[in-house]
Amino acid sequence: MRQLFSPGRVVLLLFFVAAAVLPLVVDPRGHLLRVAAMVLLFAAMAQSWNIVGGLANQISLGHAAFFGLGAYTSTLLFLKLGVSPWIGMFAGAVVAGVAAALLSIPTFRLKGHYFALATLAFAEVMRVIANSWAGLTGGPVGLSIPFMGTQPAYFAFRAVSSYYWAILGLLVFVCIVFQLLARGAIGYRLRAVRENENAAEVAGVDTFRVKLTASIISAGLTAMCGTVFAQFTFFFDPDSIFSLAGISVRMAMIAIVGGLGTLGGPIIGALFLIPLEEVANAYLSSKAAGLSQLVFGLILIAAILIQPRGIMAFWPKKRRAARAARSSVAPAQAAAKGA
Amino acid sequence: MMSAPLDRRRAVGVMLAAGAAVFASFLQPAHAADDVVVGVIQPLSGPNAQFGIGAQRGTELAAEMINAAGGIKSLGGAKIKLVAADVPTPNTAAATTQRLISQNGVSAVVGAFVSSTTLAASEVTERAGIPLVTFAFADQITGRGYQYVFQVSPKGTVFGAAQFDYATGIAKAAGEKIDKIAILYEDTAYGTAQAKGLRDAAKKAGVEIVLDEAYPLGITDVSPLVNKLRASGAQMAFPVSYLNDSLLIIRALRQQQIDIPVIGGAAGYIIPDFKKGLGDYAEGVLSVAAASGDLIPDLAAKYKEKYGAFITHEALIHAAALDAVAQAMEKAKSSDPQKVRDALASLDYCAGFARGVPGGCIKFDANGLNASAFPVMVQWRGEEPVTVYPPKAAKQVPIWRGKPVN
Repeated sequence: MRQLFSPGRVVLLLFFVAAAVLPLVVDPRGHLLRVAAMVLLFAAMAQSWNIVGGLANQISLGHAAFFGLGAYTSTLLFLKLGVSPWIGMFAGAVVAGVAAALLSIPTFRLKGHYFALATLAFAEVMRVIANSWAGLTGGPVGLSIPFMGTQPAYFAFRAVSSYYWAILGLLVFVCIVFQLLARGAIGYRLRAVRENENAAEVAGVDTFRVKLTASIISAGLTAMCGTVFAQFTFFFDPDSIFSLAGISVRMAMIAIVGGLGTLGGPIIGALFLIPLEEVANAYLSSKAAGLSQLVFGLILIAAILIQPRGIMAFWPKKRRAARAARSSVAPAQAAAKGA
Repeated sequence: MMSAPLDRRRAVGVMLAAGAAVFASFLQPAHAADDVVVGVIQPLSGPNAQFGIGAQRGTELAAEMINAAGGIKSLGGAKIKLVAADVPTPNTAAATTQRLISQNGVSAVVGAFVSSTTLAASEVTERAGIPLVTFAFADQITGRGYQYVFQVSPKGTVFGAAQFDYATGIAKAAGEKIDKIAILYEDTAYGTAQAKGLRDAAKKAGVEIVLDEAYPLGITDVSPLVNKLRASGAQMAFPVSYLNDSLLIIRALRQQQIDIPVIGGAAGYIIPDFKKGLGDYAEGVLSVAAASGDLIPDLAAKYKEKYGAFITHEALIHAAALDAVAQAMEKAKSSDPQKVRDALASLDYCAGFARGVPGGCIKFDANGLNASAFPVMVQWRGEEPVTVYPPKAAKQVPIWRGKPVN
């Protein structure tokens, strides 16, 4: 039987406690806290992506579409109708969920690269629409969150620490959803889809439905991250919010570098990549043009070459092997759960 | 745990070390106490890098000259220390600007050339109460009633209108009546804003727009555009482009021997790479510009000597922006951001690099816009563009369809 306080859970719990007290020990207006908030936000985004990308191995390169839908829905509701972004966040999740459902109908018949390309195209389409439909979206100039001091009811704060705790709360929420899905029946079905879709179908799994459910949840959570991102950075434009390299690929990259399909993977991936990028930027970007990205890219390549299965693969192999041996039914599933 | 695999222990160690290094790097002392620190944010990598690097050189030169002349005298000769940061996209602008403010303790921020990046950065500087002096010319920058943002150059729509009005002015002086024009523009913030200015000016003048085409910034084949332009019967073409698209458009026009006058919309049309990429095809191309080196030949020569290329308008305006910040500190006798901001708001500076801003001065209105500045029209002559219009700023006469216009 699985212990209630397994080492993995203790580490995770310690991480969240440490994260929660961080604003109390560092400069509350400082850059360090801002970077930490971005780490948590990207961890939440990568975790949302992980639901489809990790559990079912449906590699989406278009999650920026949902991210942007979340940002646009809440910001436009606020700017045009005065609706609080807290409510807009859930409205955005619904819009993104509907978009994911519509997108699933044609794309879930596609596999591997073709699925990735189709999702990538979807995000590009959203970017083009946001750029051209200026009457609704403000067009290529983008949208600003008006400066209004501290108004908690409208998700507006002066202190970075308030945003930080909101983002931490979102990360905890997304992690709980991920864990519930991964441990529940749907998690087993998704992993069955990942291992062999035809076999899963034959075994009685309604593969379309299970993938559809997962992508709607994943899209909705991603949209919530989009709202929080917009509130936190105060400004976005179509090219940045629907960005392929800046959002879609980064979400996938963080989860992959950290460990696909694992609960801790996106958190570790974000803890590794976001500060690394910041430090590269802070210390190298004034030295030579483009040097910081070059160094960042090289470290990234090295990380993937050293451990293609992600940083989480360094987690004790012994326990995983032992559990795999116990579970005679499906070693692959146990391995996936090992983290 | 005796049997724990070595690779894991090593991995954890490496990760802890990396984490400690990251943390330690945030705790480093920011700067020497007697310097005044100014942040410079520019796109130093990515598609707008040519512009960002030029702009950064402008601020570098301005800072060097101020320091060589004794620094900020009212602060006991304090030297200006620039902290440069790369902001390739708007997504990175907020975090980077925050870093400059809280890690480096900047008194002011200069830069960001690209409008969307500047808008993103201004949201941070406004909240932190740090002045931001910029060349980016989207109308929104000073259109939001913000107190800490200052725009050295005219607004984007003013540029679009000037691009049209100046060109028709030259044509009229050359005895040609313009009835039909074509507008081509890249579809991001810069192109769409300036195209709107062009369109409105043309409508006001009762000129027919026979072609009004947006194209994506990363366009690789412009022949359909050029074919449409040829078929449209336009007498002038107004392309608003960054660099690569400007090269493609001009090359295609020249190769197809379409000789209608082309009036570029700044950005890609007036940087050294334009001439490098086009050679003789660049000769005679007109463009609107926010400033031109020939308005301040002495400083332009210094720039050329240092960097081996002519001073672009983004370099000149950003140099003027830094000059304005230094003057504000001089006047405020302080490097406190609030006092620098107040001094900027009441600044009236007509020397140094500010002479290179058409109008000759930097004096911000209540919105933070440099109200006395106006755009100029430049034309390629050999290696450099020269100012040809309006007559009050012109250094040489414009050449229209091969003939000088007097």
